[in-house]
Amino acid sequence: EVAALPAPQNLSVHSTNMKHLLMWSPVVLAEETVYYSVEYQGEYESLYTSHIWIPSKWCSLTEGPECDVSDDITATVPYNLRVRAILGSQTSAWSILEEPFNRNSTILTLPGMKVSKDGFHLVIELEDLGPQFEFLVVYWRKELVTKEHDKVVRRGGIPVPLETMEPGAPYCVKAQALVKAIGRNSAFSQEECVEVQGEALPLM
Amino acid sequence: QGHEFRFGPCRVEGVALPSLWEAFRSLKDTVQAQDNITSIRLLRREVLQNVSDTESCHLIHDLLKFYLNTVFKNYHHKIAESNMLPSFSTLANNFVFIVSKLQPSQKNEMLSVSDRARRRFLMFKRAFKQLEIEAALTKAFGEVDILLTWMGRFY
Repeated sequence: EVAALPAPQNLSVHSTNMKHLLMWSPVVLAEETVYYSVEYQGEYESLYTSHIWIPSKWCSLTEGPECDVSDDITATVPYNLRVRAILGSQTSAWSILEEPFNRNSTILTLPGMKVSKDGFHLVIELEDLGPQFEFLVVYWRKELVTKEHDKVVRRGGIPVPLETMEPGAPYCVKAQALVKAIGRNSAFSQEECVEVQGEALPLM
Repeated sequence: QGHEFRFGPCRVEGVALPSLWEAFRSLKDTVQAQDNITSIRLLRREVLQNVSDTESCHLIHDLLKFYLNTVFKNYHHKIAESNMLPSFSTLANNFVFIVSKLQPSQKNEMLSVSDRARRRFLMFKRAFKQLEIEAALTKAFGEVDILLTWMGRFY
């Protein structure tokens, strides 16, 4: 009699910056390659059609003990996730994630940013975190800390001019990531300052 | 363009309307091809035109609840037979999210507003009930683009 294929254990979701990774302990069998199949159901399915599970876009048959379910989680509601092992014609029982996952629990890290000068222009380039991310950029002339300016940058990965700088005066910048799909934002990054060499004009 | 609906006093953040359009577009041709009654429209002009902001929260709440509890629920088997489940799931789960965030005011002075919204919704529901059920489900599902277009006015 063929021993039943063990089901994957220790399911968990690791979500950072709206990238959601379902992970589990691999099923280890000597000299065998075990595959896995992942399925999901949103709150709608669990409320109205609880018998229906939808195959994950990227992991209906996958080798590694993890699955990027970011493209499956398309609403800010709780999602059930399950995975089973597959070996040849054998399939294990399903293992279901203990707690439903909601994308509003994703960890938002400080946005990476590069502050530079292009001639007299203060320029920022933010980390490209994907289409769901916007950024609030705050910048100021160092001696005029009370006169902060802010600007919403719709996308990362491209240099964005902020202001024309006076020579000899340091300008500082900080930024936070905004994710409207879940109505949350990250903390502000550390401030970074740059200066255009030259004689500073007296402050009026 | 943010991710926020403002149906009068009801504010719903966290829904990307473009992604709902994308989901519906991948279903649209299949669904609308099954609708043979081209002379009737459920979401007629009288249902959706000149809706005041204060009415809009009541109306969208009733319409989305109807779509979830009647249209999607009973049309689901047709979707399940095809490979359109992911797109359908995106639409349905975002409708669940929106409904969960809507709190139409129940205050007395709002009674006339909710009554007007109610009459609009009942106009839609009567038209739905006058059709044979499968035809009604197909037509209502095919009219999600009319619904999304109207919702776009509050986005």
